[in-house]
Amino acid sequence: MNRQLAHLSDEALVLLAARSEESALAELYDRYGRTAYGLALRILRDRALAEDAVQEAFLTVWRTASKFVPERGKASTWILTLAHRRAVDAVRREERRRADSLERAPEPSVEGVDEDAWLRLQRERVQEALKRLPDAQREALELAYYGGLSQSELAERLGQPLGTIKSRMFGGLSRLRELLGEPGTEVSWTSMT
Amino acid sequence: MDLHDLTAAYALDALDGDEAEAYERHLGQCEECRAQLAELNETASALAFAAVAPPPPARLREAILETAAAERSNVVPLLRRRWVARSLAVAAAAAACVVVGLAVALTHSNHAPRPVTMALSRDASGNVTVTFSGLGTVPRSKTYEAWVIPKGKAPQRAGLFSGGGDTTLHLKGAVPKGAVVAVTIEPHGGTKAPTTTPIVSARA
Repeated sequence: MNRQLAHLSDEALVLLAARSEESALAELYDRYGRTAYGLALRILRDRALAEDAVQEAFLTVWRTASKFVPERGKASTWILTLAHRRAVDAVRREERRRADSLERAPEPSVEGVDEDAWLRLQRERVQEALKRLPDAQREALELAYYGGLSQSELAERLGQPLGTIKSRMFGGLSRLRELLGEPGTEVSWTSMT
Repeated sequence: MDLHDLTAAYALDALDGDEAEAYERHLGQCEECRAQLAELNETASALAFAAVAPPPPARLREAILETAAAERSNVVPLLRRRWVARSLAVAAAAAACVVVGLAVALTHSNHAPRPVTMALSRDASGNVTVTFSGLGTVPRSKTYEAWVIPKGKAPQRAGLFSGGGDTTLHLKGAVPKGAVVAVTIEPHGGTKAPTTTPIVSARA
């Protein structure tokens, strides 16, 4: 692994990737590939489909890196948004989602999973913030983000008007943003390397 | 349907195809929604970190990097090689001297990546000539400005030019060995110090 790039910011790596620097793509994968895969696997519950989604996401990063505008958002947000969209597209395409599958899917266990310190910190801080959300908001966020349900599917599933679903999603994300922004919870990549 | 209300759902990828398209059209016209979406996207993507999973198989990393490398060797380097060869030829013709520095960068013109090459050549008395090819013409309100950055020192102004076609520039003053030559786009008339990121740079 080429660790010469380890000191560079995510955004600098995207700029290098835009100049066809493969080692920059490798470094971005080493930083976010695992998170992207974990997310895709949670949504798709199928390893092969999850691998496809992650591969498509990182190749999109490679092909469109020159269009990335740092002023509009963080590179990690861009990469994980791409991975999420690919996985959600796939889950909808495959019609793998069944009304009752979310309850039955076992919550993945952390035991035996060899995480690095940075990822563990990130996971704990987001899980902690999620726990502090009102139940209805957390449920809406989880079903949408990890379940790949659309807002109209959510409304039907939960037996609530669409307006209620919209405000739960908005309220949930806004509250989560506040919780994640509280001092001491922000962990940046550079502080760990 | 109030499209402003759809920002959170869009950030969570919870809109159907038609709704997502309508929202994207709206986004192009609504600065407020763009700003809000940037925030909510960042928060939504933080949710990715809470998903727990075993690490991906090593073959995934290999497959991504191999595909990326294959795409690169099919497209960009061929383009680059042609431009580099041409730039070297132009530089050699312009001044019968040694090419000491060479850089290739991609700029964007009409959304298509466009390779720019910069070749530096030094004559016997230490004067440096810079030859560009592929450099587009800057708008009238702007100028290209060349800089010489000696090791550990601030950038020194080295000339203004407007680009277009093949440009040859004789740098003002002597250029110390190991100094970096860089080009930025600046307001018409130039500036005392660079205000933008160099589009191309090379060591002389």
